[in-house]
Amino acid sequence: MSEKIGIYVCECGPNIADKVHIDKIMEDVSKLPDFQDKELVVRNHKLLCSVDGKKFLEDEINEHKLSHLVVAACSPRDHDSTFIGVCKKTELNPYLYKIVNIREQCAWVIPDKDKATEKAVQYIHAGMNRVLYQDPLFEKELDSNPDVLVIGGGMAGMEAALDLAGKDRKVFLIEKEENLGGKSAHLTQLMSRQGSNLNILHQRISDVQKNKNIKIFTNTVLDKIVGFMGNFEIDLRNTKDESIIELLAGAVVVATGYELLDSQKLENISFTEKDNVITALEAEKMFSENKKIGSKDGKEPKSVTLVHCIGREDAGFCSKICCNYMFKISNLIKSQSPKIEVTHLIKHLSLPTKHSQEYYDNVIKNGAKFERYKTLKLNGTNLEYSDLNNEKQSLDSDLVILAPAMMPAKGTAELGKLLNIDLHETGFFQEAHTKKDPVSASTDGIFIIGSARTPGSIFDAIQQAKAATGKIFSQLIPGEKIIPEVMVSEVLDAYCTGCQTCLNVCVYDAIYFDEDRGISVVNEAVCRGCGNCVGSCPSGSIRTRHFTNPQIYQEVKEAIR
Amino acid sequence: MDKENVLVIGAGVAGMEASLMLSKAGKKVYLVEKQLLIGGNTIKNEETFPNMDCSTCLVAPIQQDILQDPNVEVLTLSEVDKVSGEQGNFKVTIKKKARYINMEACLGCEMCYPVCPVELSNEWEGNLGIKHAVYVSTSGSLPNVPRIDPEHCLKLNGKDKNCNKCVEACMFAAIDFSEKDETLDIDVTGIIVAAGFGTFDAGKLENLGHGKFSAVYSSLEFERLFAKNGPTEGALTLRNSDKKPESVAIVHCVGREEVGYCSSVCCMSSFKHAHFIKHKLPDCKIYNIYTDVCLPDKSYQKYYENTKANNSQLLFQSDPKAMKITEKGGKLEVSYKNGKDTNDTLKVDMVILANSFQPPSDLEKLTKSLDIKRDSFGFIEAEPFNLGSVETSRPGIFVAGCVEGPKDVQSSFIQAEAAVAGVLTINVE
Repeated sequence: MSEKIGIYVCECGPNIADKVHIDKIMEDVSKLPDFQDKELVVRNHKLLCSVDGKKFLEDEINEHKLSHLVVAACSPRDHDSTFIGVCKKTELNPYLYKIVNIREQCAWVIPDKDKATEKAVQYIHAGMNRVLYQDPLFEKELDSNPDVLVIGGGMAGMEAALDLAGKDRKVFLIEKEENLGGKSAHLTQLMSRQGSNLNILHQRISDVQKNKNIKIFTNTVLDKIVGFMGNFEIDLRNTKDESIIELLAGAVVVATGYELLDSQKLENISFTEKDNVITALEAEKMFSENKKIGSKDGKEPKSVTLVHCIGREDAGFCSKICCNYMFKISNLIKSQSPKIEVTHLIKHLSLPTKHSQEYYDNVIKNGAKFERYKTLKLNGTNLEYSDLNNEKQSLDSDLVILAPAMMPAKGTAELGKLLNIDLHETGFFQEAHTKKDPVSASTDGIFIIGSARTPGSIFDAIQQAKAATGKIFSQLIPGEKIIPEVMVSEVLDAYCTGCQTCLNVCVYDAIYFDEDRGISVVNEAVCRGCGNCVGSCPSGSIRTRHFTNPQIYQEVKEAIR
Repeated sequence: MDKENVLVIGAGVAGMEASLMLSKAGKKVYLVEKQLLIGGNTIKNEETFPNMDCSTCLVAPIQQDILQDPNVEVLTLSEVDKVSGEQGNFKVTIKKKARYINMEACLGCEMCYPVCPVELSNEWEGNLGIKHAVYVSTSGSLPNVPRIDPEHCLKLNGKDKNCNKCVEACMFAAIDFSEKDETLDIDVTGIIVAAGFGTFDAGKLENLGHGKFSAVYSSLEFERLFAKNGPTEGALTLRNSDKKPESVAIVHCVGREEVGYCSSVCCMSSFKHAHFIKHKLPDCKIYNIYTDVCLPDKSYQKYYENTKANNSQLLFQSDPKAMKITEKGGKLEVSYKNGKDTNDTLKVDMVILANSFQPPSDLEKLTKSLDIKRDSFGFIEAEPFNLGSVETSRPGIFVAGCVEGPKDVQSSFIQAEAAVAGVLTINVE
């Protein structure tokens, strides 16, 4: 095929036109000595990204039957995708096009117009060098499986299962325990705007059980998972009989919850079985079974101290919900007898939802007292603490209720490893992006919700389950194909020595070792084209498509001349 | 009717995230924004806690995706006027104000504003900068197209019919005084309301001197003062002077008692402000005066510890109502009640008031048009609250972001994603 390169210089209104000599650029580019054997089409336009400009470019590509295209314009961040879009409307493969930034890199930063012009020519030249070495790439379509594996049968997991399951989408819900329900099975009431938790919980369990599109596996854990979004191959293991269940799914939702910090392990906390010291979760369990919170001998306590923020410093974070949770316990105690003296020992109040403050006001109205502490020592039911003025205080009460920090559930790290998803430094799962992709894990197709992600309330858990549902609804549409990245790595079989260095640097687990052939192989559906493997390969046998050494060399040799 | 349409109200981070997801799911989205730019309040921040991503780096790619998405029709300067019908079949009337600039022709070259003879205070910049009658809210606005304010443009308000300065300056013939306000009727299956937040007017608390003493700033005003694309190009100087503050008091929980809730993000943003100041003015003395410290995420405590270790002196005040800020000899005197219930006084050059989030001031009108319930604070109510619902009192209308209650960027994204699940469920059935 004869090469016919189109070079289109965008004036970007006055942005480029005022700062470089457009005519000079066109003339110099046309006369480049090393391109005299190639056919060139050199044109300018006032504004290539405009409707007119795009139409002009499209017509030019078709009319001249261009084999390669270079657009000299703005930053690729602004309009690379615009011109790729134009190419896609024509016969020209978009990977045979190259944008060259003569606005931010020339016009806007070089005050001398002649020098800016010279630089622009040089950069366009570099782009022309590169584009000739580019290869056409073709997108592939892969079938995808819309079904979802949900790990964890607590509130978050059940909500996700109920929201996701439909006639086009099955859900496999696995729970490591005997029963569904998770930690909230111990809660009688919801926080803040109270309502019966147990009614809701039982309703949900029954909804999940009745749903024909949800298949429940209790006493079951994840054993193995391979694949990528749209196509995961999964092995589940029954912990009772060790049997393995194989299934396929397109996405995984992780809702494995939390566990409470063992306060006995803290240096400043010391009590025995006999002491009237319990956790808030135990207090609520007690209330849900006996309709009252009492001392261990069954007597009604005259005074109860609720100690917030147990282990917060050691855990390294605020558990967000304990303040509200302790308010609930406080109100439960006051509801059984207003005479019981209730004191909250707090560090700071954390009331991060709009209804929490009125909940707090309500607790105050019910007669609970609040004291602030900086440090404390618990010995049985005696508390010694320093207040805000660093004065030592001592407090004895009939019953002490602790709010220990919420920690990642046992096995979180192991599960993270199995799923190849990152952990946060606190041990919870890490978001793909803390702010703009908060329910996605670091691996595509895997979602993290509820207190396995960050400590939170039932409100948070359910909302995150809905968020993961929204993500899956928009990313994994039943019957639709998925198009994986095409600018991915490939191993050149003949050069690979089988050293497996690349397997260690791949953050996406996209490379596996083919034992029979003794070489590394890239799974193109998983590879994201980051280039880590290319840099690490001692024999130079891996390349990333569209970023090969010759392509980069050809561009750079001119750009830095 | 077209089954595929969805309406999203508000082009902040929540509205934009919802729109992009809906587009990906094959829906046509009408994204209605009352301002002339998209990005919401998040883009007012220079950097965002806890990992201090620059907010442009965080939001600009989303803004670009929105503007380039063929399935998302962005309607700026627009407001929802009427909604009839029901879930799956809403009929919506939208009022779109004229921009007086042809968006196809305009390149955003900025040649038109310096020639405009009108100067106005720029409220988007916390009134710290000026704008002209033809203006963008801030440099780097997207879409990168100005608007002409018909109330103040001399030609449009009739004060000088011959003024043609901007037209003469424009090389693209983009200025179009003949543009008229429009009314649009659209059919949609579902609606997501992501109309953002307003802030508590700290001036209402006379003891704090906001609006009275020039060195007293609200949180968002300070955010714009610090911003590189803001009125001082990021120079931390006191209002109308070149003087840099040598000491700053940052007061948390301003308006908390008055509004009746904790706004959940102000502690973190106040610690961020301490970090900002330390970064630009390493010798500046910084005080964070707090009542409670609210750190509702796994990664926030570390940020707080860092503030304590490096930047700021943390001072507890037991009764925010007792605080009094006065001006004496060019300094601000901040008197507050400490943990011993006695008064302490600080002398500082600058005060930043971390004022509460509130519903946007015009939310009542919008909720009336939508016929949806608000809670006792005026935010949009989603019920049942305890179960994380994002559905409003009118089926088919969902809520996301701070219009439901104060929250951080992360939680706004979560709610937007949850609202998308809700809208997509309408269509599945």
